[in-house]
Amino acid sequence: MNRTLLSIRELSVRYSTPDGIVPAVNDFSLDLQAGECVGIVGESGAGKSQSFLAVMGLLPGNATVGGTATLGSESLLGCGIDALNRLRGARIAMIFQDPMTSLTPHMRVGEQIAESLVLHKGLSQTDAMARALDLLQQVQVTDARRRLHQYPHELSGGMRQRVMIAVALACDPEVLIADEPTTALDVTVQAQILSLLAELKRERRMGLVLVTHDLGVVAGVADRVLVMYGGRVVESGAVGEMLVSPRHPYTRALLRSMPRIDDDRTAPLTAIPGQPPSPAKLPSGCAFHPRCAGADAACRDQLPAMLEGRTRAACHHPEGAS
Amino acid sequence: MLRYALRRLLGVIPTLFAIITLSFFVIRIAPGGPFDDEQTLPPEIKANLEAAYGLDQPLHVQYGRYLAGLVRGDFGPSFKFKDFSVTELIAQGLPISLTLGLSAILVALLIGVPLGSLAALRQNRPTDHSIMAVAVLGIALPSFVVGPLLALTFGLHLRWLPVAGWESGQWRYLVLPVITLALPVIAYIARLTRGSLLEVLRSNFVRTARSKGLSERAILWRHALRPAMLPVVSYLGPATAFVITGSLVVETVFGLPGSGRYLVQGAINRDYTLVMGMIVVYGSVTLLFNLIADLLYGWLDPRVRYD
Ligand SMILES: Nc1ncnc2c1ncn2[C@@H]1O[C@H](COP(=O)(O)OP(=O)(O)OP(=O)(O)O)[C@@H](O)[C@H]1O
Ligand SMILES: [Mg+2]
Repeated sequence: MNRTLLSIRELSVRYSTPDGIVPAVNDFSLDLQAGECVGIVGESGAGKSQSFLAVMGLLPGNATVGGTATLGSESLLGCGIDALNRLRGARIAMIFQDPMTSLTPHMRVGEQIAESLVLHKGLSQTDAMARALDLLQQVQVTDARRRLHQYPHELSGGMRQRVMIAVALACDPEVLIADEPTTALDVTVQAQILSLLAELKRERRMGLVLVTHDLGVVAGVADRVLVMYGGRVVESGAVGEMLVSPRHPYTRALLRSMPRIDDDRTAPLTAIPGQPPSPAKLPSGCAFHPRCAGADAACRDQLPAMLEGRTRAACHHPEGAS
Repeated sequence: MLRYALRRLLGVIPTLFAIITLSFFVIRIAPGGPFDDEQTLPPEIKANLEAAYGLDQPLHVQYGRYLAGLVRGDFGPSFKFKDFSVTELIAQGLPISLTLGLSAILVALLIGVPLGSLAALRQNRPTDHSIMAVAVLGIALPSFVVGPLLALTFGLHLRWLPVAGWESGQWRYLVLPVITLALPVIAYIARLTRGSLLEVLRSNFVRTARSKGLSERAILWRHALRPAMLPVVSYLGPATAFVITGSLVVETVFGLPGSGRYLVQGAINRDYTLVMGMIVVYGSVTLLFNLIADLLYGWLDPRVRYD
């Protein structure tokens, strides 16, 4: 039986900058079920991080957020800081993109994990530290008892990322948003952390959002995939369909640009021509049209609607349509 | 930590030695001598005087003697205040000057840091704008203007505090001088605090703290304030130097019998030993504060400790 944990509807993020309004995210919707992992894929600047920072209420002051986001029956957007603070860290948590700078430099690792336990679960400092030790062991930090009393700068990048995961998992959240949790790490550590997240998701029936620009990462862990381009979702669907026969030309181009170990095809890797657009200067119509081989006049002029099918694709000429 | 502190303390000695050596020779190179303006002195008496103070010896011998005296804690006799040794003169004025200077720095921290934090937390709102406007004034107005203004207002008109002067043990005489001396430092610290706190509040680790659901207050106290204090602590060294020079003016304006006047009078009179004594004392104070600032820095930021 499915249970929707996180529901995001028509989320938008706009930045007011000296150069005008920058639409970083448009019309972003997502339903996340218990025990499900949704991968969010797209090139740099596609709006992946902004979408979820918005949900967590973590955007800077010059950002305006529209749409709704609910966690169970609680609203996350515009609910007031106190209501939001009762949810974040307790029922919804986030692992950030940059583990090197995301921990407080002057606080011992253990304190940083214990903090939310004291706050949300009302544990005593001693109990919270004992729990922090458990958590460090759970995320496979070696020599956890000593690490507990170390400062972030004494840990390697991989260790810090694990600590970040422990911080996020401390209060046993229903929803975990992992924003590129493995980008800064080498391949072996990457695989360890991903399988750790997958295991936690299974064990705790947690909803997991995995943000990445690596389709290979998604293939291993995600149940569903959302592809973002220029601040919009351009295609979404089950991971099998998305990786084998995607309908949107951008998703197909992404796949072609990616090396695959399990694949012995001889076709060369092809990089996607051109640059991803800046949200400040989005192309008209379908934002992908300048880089799309099959683009025509309609693509230049009209924003494509989301078409149902094997996958949902926002394209005037999706693959598999006539 | 203690070993680090000791090592740094020993490291101060060569610096102090360099300051002493440099000042000693620079002062002697300056034209004029301690007994030049006493025109009535017959040449042979002047020569006798100079011989009595060892001024007839070659410079390097004088330097050696001076160092030897310093090691014994003897700053030598004053050339102008003939009945006093330099040690006695400094011992008279220094307690007042130290109290004035230390209070000014303490007051500046206690007022500047909260003001700057408040401005940062109310960024671009009226509170912020007013605090920063006053801060600009505080930095721009020289203390020989602020001092008399304060004395006029609170001394003459309101009669809350003495206009000037000193009675030992009476803190009321220190209030206006301390405020005058602290004002620019308050302003500077407030601006430093505001800027660095704003930066810290935008940092990734504060974002992590917010994602835990911590209140803004908890974030400020536990996560943001300590790193935001780093630039303020770095400024403590220069602030000490500023307060020392500032106290020369403030002591004059408020007629405080501190040691600042000895530096000025000593320089005018070519009272070599007195000037040197003041340089050694103020130099040590400045170095000591730089050391304290370094140790505080290590406490605030564990990344710089133990090396
Ligand atoms: N403070 C800001 N002011 C203005 N625009 C911003 C700001 N922060 C982000 N943006 C805009 O939002 C866009 C989307 O950023 P986002 O961080 O979501 O990208 P991303 O998909 O996470 O990319 P990456 O893979 O590099 O992390 C950026 O390209 C940028 O133009
Ligand atoms: Mg990102």
